Amino acid sequence: MGLTYVALTLITLFFLLPLLWILRTSLITKVEAYKIPPNWMAEVTLDNYISIFTDNPFGSYFLNSFFIALVSTLISVLLGAMSSYWICRCARHNGRLKVAILVTQMIPPVVMIIPLSLVIKSLGLDDTYFALIMAYLSFNLPYVIWMLLSHFEAIPRELDDACAVDGCTHVQAYFRVVLPLVMPGIMATAVYSFIVCWNEFMFALNLTGLNTRTIPVAIASLDTQQGVMIAELCASTIVAILPVIFLTVFIKKYLVQGLTFGSVK
Amino acid sequence: MRSIRRKNFTVFMLPSLIALLLVLAIPLGYSLITSFFNTNLKYQGLGDFVGLSNYASVLQDEYFIESVVTTAKFTVGVVVVEFLAGLAIALLLNNIRKGRNFFFTIIIVPMMITPIAVGLIWRLLLHANLGIVNYMLSLVGISGQAWLADSSLALKTVMFIDVWQNVPYMVLVILAGLVTLPAEPYEAAAIDGASRTQSFFRLTVPMMLPTFSVVLLLRTITALKTYDLIFVLTRGGPGTSTEVISYHIYQQAFRYLEIGKASAMSYLLLLLIIPIAFLFVRISRNRTA
Repeated sequence: MGLTYVALTLITLFFLLPLLWILRTSLITKVEAYKIPPNWMAEVTLDNYISIFTDNPFGSYFLNSFFIALVSTLISVLLGAMSSYWICRCARHNGRLKVAILVTQMIPPVVMIIPLSLVIKSLGLDDTYFALIMAYLSFNLPYVIWMLLSHFEAIPRELDDACAVDGCTHVQAYFRVVLPLVMPGIMATAVYSFIVCWNEFMFALNLTGLNTRTIPVAIASLDTQQGVMIAELCASTIVAILPVIFLTVFIKKYLVQGLTFGSVK
Repeated sequence: MRSIRRKNFTVFMLPSLIALLLVLAIPLGYSLITSFFNTNLKYQGLGDFVGLSNYASVLQDEYFIESVVTTAKFTVGVVVVEFLAGLAIALLLNNIRKGRNFFFTIIIVPMMITPIAVGLIWRLLLHANLGIVNYMLSLVGISGQAWLADSSLALKTVMFIDVWQNVPYMVLVILAGLVTLPAEPYEAAAIDGASRTQSFFRLTVPMMLPTFSVVLLLRTITALKTYDLIFVLTRGGPGTSTEVISYHIYQQAFRYLEIGKASAMSYLLLLLIIPIAFLFVRISRNRTA
């Protein structure tokens, strides 16, 4: 038993120490950050965090990421939940449709970005929020539809029928009765979609410009444009990953389902 | 009745269908078409119809073949190592009660953060002169390496970093499977005098097979798509030693502007992934049914 704990502590340190080192580097001065051997007694400062938000338009990158991820997720959830419900209740022989929806999740992003980029650039829509939000629908929307199917299936049809007897239309039954019942599933799926958008890189790299740059693109270019600014880079990286760690706590229970497309519960 | 059905379709399904048509079906169709043309961004329009010659030339292109080989090495390597390490850690976690949640919560963090951040973190740690890793190694008398700049080491280093990020995924899913295993068979086996190794191979492995297939297939698919990590860590280099398929295709399309060829490569990549995807669909359907 003791050995198990020793092993687990070492393993946990293996995953934790790199992150702690970056946190440490983000909290010391630029000069200290370059020192090897490291000065273990270096003074703690928030200068790097202040500098990325003032010298760099990092604040606007943060807002870009937040806005794009949020709007794309909201659209996906609004449209996706309705479609998921319809497929569940009204589509006859829906097996093939479901498989098609799931298979879209396996398409590599590089396959999608080539035609998406050509179409978006030929319409003059690159470097707009609209372009990236739409591009993210290509994986978000099918994901939401797929993940919510099992939640809608878990709700007995009799409930809809009871509503119909009471004179409700399908739309009313959906919004007033069914939707509130699947809310936990919707919230978890939405948070997961948000994280995926927040982390997305390839589409953002290709479709954003100065006005719409998201955080992953910003930190990747911070690294190439100005040499390695170690301390600022670490501060930006921490800012990029903190919201994700924070959100993960809320959906920990749903993570396994979310990450295996519901095939492991 | 019919009209009600139609009205419902319009309200519930049509908006999604239009969106999916615009962002998924049309782009995929467009890509398929350009794969039969010598489309090049240097010139206007689609270019000339060339039949299957993009596919033929891509399959003879030694750089493409090399990127396929690199991707295969990368994928097999990381999936096997991540699976075995993930299984071992999940078994350890399954053994304990106290503190399980604590260890688990920390271990799953790398999986959730963007590969861009993961790449940047490890680039700093592994920097030949300024990195902490080489410094630590020097303290114990091991000479540091140019982990990402040495063409004989770069792919292994990238794979190591991928392992750091994705072992947590394996731990998460395998542990979720392990905790649902019934206790009775193990008790019965213990009474019959089975060793822990025996009950692992005779009980755990067979009962866990569906979960194992799910994680192996899904991880194989995501490993075949790898792009972000390569972009931050090596840009495919040194030379072409870490140039995986996704990176190669992206370069063909946006650096060399060879859209026709890049589209053909895209479809070849899809051809590789779709069978694995269908295998996954089949397994997961058996589970839920």
